[in-house]
Amino acid sequence: MSKHYDAVIVGGGVIGALTAKILSEGGKSVLILEAGIEGAMKPSNYQKYLRTLYTEGGVRGMPNGPYPWNSAAPSPAIPSAPTVRGEDDPYFVFDTPKHFMSDYLRMLGGTTLHWQGTSLRLVPNDFRMKSVYQKGIDWPISYDDLEPAYRRAEYELGVSADVEDQIFFGVWFPKGYVFPMHGLPQSRVDHYFKAALKKQSVRLHGGQYPLKVIPIPVARNSTPNPKYGIYAGYDPVSMVSNRDRGLRCQGNSSCMPLCPVQAKYSALKTLNELENSSQVEVRTQCVATRLILDEATNKIAFVEYNRYQNPDSPRHTVEMAKGTLIVLAANAIENATLLLASGSSPKGLANSSDQVGRNLMDHPYLYTWGYSSKRVYPFRGPDTTSGVESLRDGKFRKVHASFRASLSNWGWSSEPGHQLSSLLQEKTYGKQLRKTLAENMARMVKIGFMFEQLPSQKNRVTISPDYKDAMGNYRPVFSYHYDSYSLAGAEAAVNKVWKKISECAKIEDHTDYPDPAPSGYQRVSFNGKSYNIMGSGHIVGTHRMGRNKKHSVTDRNMKTWDHPNLYVVGAGNQVTIGTANPTLTAAALAIRAAEAMLRELQ
Amino acid sequence: MSSKKSNLKSEIRELHKLLQDALEVEHATIPPYFTAWLSIKEGHNHESKEIIRSVLLEEMLHLTLAANLLNAIDGKPNLTHPDFVPRYPHILPHSGGHFEINIEKFSQSALKVFLQIERPEAKKALPEAEGFDTIGQFYAYVKEKLDKLCDEHGEQKVFCGDINLQIRPEDYYGSGSVVVVTNRNTAHDAIETIVEQGEGAHEGIFDKDHNIFGPGDGKELAHYYRFMEIHLGRHFKKGDTPRSGPHGSPLKVYFDEVYPLSMNMHKSDYPKGSEKRKALEKFSSGYNELLVALEEAFNGHRSGLTEAIARMFSLRNQALSLIQTPLGKGKGTLGLDFTSPTG
Repeated sequence: MSKHYDAVIVGGGVIGALTAKILSEGGKSVLILEAGIEGAMKPSNYQKYLRTLYTEGGVRGMPNGPYPWNSAAPSPAIPSAPTVRGEDDPYFVFDTPKHFMSDYLRMLGGTTLHWQGTSLRLVPNDFRMKSVYQKGIDWPISYDDLEPAYRRAEYELGVSADVEDQIFFGVWFPKGYVFPMHGLPQSRVDHYFKAALKKQSVRLHGGQYPLKVIPIPVARNSTPNPKYGIYAGYDPVSMVSNRDRGLRCQGNSSCMPLCPVQAKYSALKTLNELENSSQVEVRTQCVATRLILDEATNKIAFVEYNRYQNPDSPRHTVEMAKGTLIVLAANAIENATLLLASGSSPKGLANSSDQVGRNLMDHPYLYTWGYSSKRVYPFRGPDTTSGVESLRDGKFRKVHASFRASLSNWGWSSEPGHQLSSLLQEKTYGKQLRKTLAENMARMVKIGFMFEQLPSQKNRVTISPDYKDAMGNYRPVFSYHYDSYSLAGAEAAVNKVWKKISECAKIEDHTDYPDPAPSGYQRVSFNGKSYNIMGSGHIVGTHRMGRNKKHSVTDRNMKTWDHPNLYVVGAGNQVTIGTANPTLTAAALAIRAAEAMLRELQ
Repeated sequence: MSSKKSNLKSEIRELHKLLQDALEVEHATIPPYFTAWLSIKEGHNHESKEIIRSVLLEEMLHLTLAANLLNAIDGKPNLTHPDFVPRYPHILPHSGGHFEINIEKFSQSALKVFLQIERPEAKKALPEAEGFDTIGQFYAYVKEKLDKLCDEHGEQKVFCGDINLQIRPEDYYGSGSVVVVTNRNTAHDAIETIVEQGEGAHEGIFDKDHNIFGPGDGKELAHYYRFMEIHLGRHFKKGDTPRSGPHGSPLKVYFDEVYPLSMNMHKSDYPKGSEKRKALEKFSSGYNELLVALEEAFNGHRSGLTEAIARMFSLRNQALSLIQTPLGKGKGTLGLDFTSPTG
């Protein structure tokens, strides 16, 4: 029989890497099973993916754009994937309509290989939606409970921000706390809106809310704050295997999905730290297929996994991994489908609550755009450096979703194609074309609104014997829709907030939601108006934590109620989604869980 | 060592001069390394390009460390006097005067000069006041002088500069950490970083146990050996010594995948008012404005470094378009002139 580990972790993304780091610091032995390939961890591959991004225009704007198709461990929305007749995606299976439009990446490093880097904390009321607003349900933990783990997460991800900008809606920091690095400079776009919206406010359901533009915290290297002292100072972490690159954000306006210098955090950095650890073993190309239960103890005895040599072929060998603790850290969708695929009952394992796969949430995302009244010179810096964060909480949450408005530094889209093609249709050529483009592009502004969703039993990922991948593993099947709570938020965002912003900032509005919706968008009608909405890639809720085993999958430390040695960790533990991009919260949850695991293993 | 106590003022004055020389020596390597680095086309010679870039960045660190050393003893770093940017070909001061440095494209002959620049300190070479053979000897002399003054007059009297002028780790990034120089120990750290990154730890040239690695995590070769890898087309591997030479995996070098820029180009090569002259002048003004910004940063305006870095990015783009400008069939492309607009 193979080696017995203190913990077997399924998933080599940010959650798995942080869990492994904390357990190994505590002297515990860890095995990470990663379904995908080593991929971007290898510097030459990272450069190859960058080249793909730069040279193959079609993959731009797609989070998984530069990554290769892997038939043994498929990811959704891979542009080079084979097309299957009658199916939207060779991996995801949708009911109709196809509302679920988010994705993730199965590769060592996980979805941090295409994330934006925005690292906002949730606000305290996000944890108590039921008691404050009679919506959703309350978490078993509060902001105060998670606060120390947020700080550690800000250290591990390397977050840049200034504390004084981030104190709102009851978000607090201990006295004297500073972020590891100072905030990134705000862009000209940010300053334009900041000036225009100074002292402006908007009325939502009887309350008056300021439209305050503030810099957002990001996991991107900036100037280290010399006052940072909690973890003995902060040294920005460079590119993997090149200590001279990535120590500061260079403002390359191409960092989605891949930062050219790795100034943006990815789990590769944490995994790289663990490379020389004798405590941590990472096995790539190992797809966990089932958890095997020891009926006598109700513990998970083994993780069964398929090890493959060639991503183009389903050929594999079946192997087992054994650990005192088993930790699922494979993201909200894969954690859920793995639990559903395990055990002998159709409900799967860890599912006595019947909540596994349910309460699937994302941030429905809506753009508005136009021309500013003076030049703001977009296409510089990371895609966003500021947002309107003053609508993330308020009494209106009794009626509709809260939301945040993210200011785009990259004009109307990541490419000028939109504008260029319409000018060419008007037969504008030569100098006139250049002049018009320069004039228009320098004034392009766009705002992305993201809305909270309420947990719903009907929004879920499940599995079906009818849908399996090439290796014979279950594909995720989605049943998902937007409810009126979110859509009423969208209505308020477009008709009240965007209206007010565009008035104050003298925006020439070009917002237009064509029918049919372009690829990647879902057309949704509400109160007689239609919107083209997309997903945010913020996948949460499928194995939520809770106060009791009847309504939740895990306890407050992310240990499953049903199996005494099984933890399920990640954004799937979130009870509500709030309006923070979820990676920082998921990282904080992983840190909290890993600390509980360490206590248990002592 | 003289038994008579030296005159602190005049000794410090000599050290100011020596460290100003250090600034100029460190700077003089930047235009040639920058040019060779930039001349390598993207996508080819990726490894060689990274190697030269890593050395170039360390020279920028050395320039900053020299400024910190000078500020620590109350000197005044000057990056803008008329001769600060030499006219190339240039003979590096304190290098024995045996070779000329050129502004030229990446090539074997450029590499041979780079190897000369970074040549390790000869075994047991004594520091000399004049005619140093290597930069290592030069710094050894500076270090010995500093030590002597500290012994005679006390560290506080020697390191009397304004601490606020020191460039700090939060101001500077890349190629290892900048050292804030406030006393004898930190001065030693700064000097050792410069010498060891350049030549490796000095156990003696080509000794069996000479350390080919610089400071830090032990993975980084000293400059001399990094250039040697490209020159010989092979990596060093663990266990290799200077005598054994590199026995690691081959390093492929394509000397023709390079922009054929003109060597040691000067604005006066073209008539006043011509397009080419204007382009060369624009770059040289930009470069000299960068030096002004750096001088200000080294003289109290530390936050100005951030702006200086933005200038570096824009100069890189400008330089790239120059060396991509063809001069006609078989005549290569435009070169780079770093001298002051009036120089």
